[in-house]
Amino acid sequence: MTIVLEAPAQRSELSFIAMSNDDAATPDKPVDVRALFEEQALQYMDQLYAAAMRMTRNPADAADLVQETYVKAYQAFGQFQQGTNLKAWLYRIQTNTFINNYRKNQRNPYQGTIDDLEDWQLGGAESMTQSTSTRSAEAEAIDHLPDSAVKDALQAVPEDFRMAVYFADVEGFSYQEIADIMKTPVGTVMSRLHRGRRMLRDLLADYARDRGIAVPVPTTGGKK
Amino acid sequence: MTDCGCDKAKAELEEFLHNELDAKDAADVAEHMANCEDCSHEHLVGLTLTEKVRQACQEQAPSELRDRVLNALS
Repeated sequence: MTIVLEAPAQRSELSFIAMSNDDAATPDKPVDVRALFEEQALQYMDQLYAAAMRMTRNPADAADLVQETYVKAYQAFGQFQQGTNLKAWLYRIQTNTFINNYRKNQRNPYQGTIDDLEDWQLGGAESMTQSTSTRSAEAEAIDHLPDSAVKDALQAVPEDFRMAVYFADVEGFSYQEIADIMKTPVGTVMSRLHRGRRMLRDLLADYARDRGIAVPVPTTGGKK
Repeated sequence: MTDCGCDKAKAELEEFLHNELDAKDAADVAEHMANCEDCSHEHLVGLTLTEKVRQACQEQAPSELRDRVLNALS
């Protein structure tokens, strides 16, 4: 079903009045855009805030980013196609807003080229030759880590990789949805996910090892 | 059905985990894992990682943010 909405940006009330005066035979009640937006979009505030925290890394900027996202989404709500994925649409706006307003203020020498870097330049190492027993030890060690360790590790992963992991593992978006949100091909999403998860896994293994939890060092590839 | 082998399973584990494989490939990977402790443990690490990230990233927006947003909309 598609509901055609008036652009809510300005004078929506006036245009509704004009509409009803125009033709006395319109039985449809005008859609209350504001009420519809509040009802449909505000429920995602906690999730948008959680993602904003991973993007901006601090509560004040995260709150500002969410507010800005909602303002932009409300202005563009007339272009949102009812029945499609509103949460993904909101995330697309938030990602865009973040890139335009915040990212340029953050120092990141690799921005824009992170996908082209080789794994060794990122300090990651494939460790596929671990034995089975080391893998169960690894799963158990990861499972016992505190949330703070996981968040710290996430923050250490480059932003594009981090957000791909966030969208897939926290939000459960499909690769295609993530591609739409991040405006990148699905192949790039898969690469970001794979590398982000690999880095996260290595960071968490390091964290566990530093705290005396036995996680055997992978037998291939030197780290760092 | 023949076992797809570790190489294919490992290459597709992440897509399997994210439910991105078609039914046939997913069945192949699942069948292989049923008989391969190595790959099923690798999958367990992946599942654990996903679950830990999901848990760690739960946040509640500050209570005043809703009012801020509502004010900003008008």
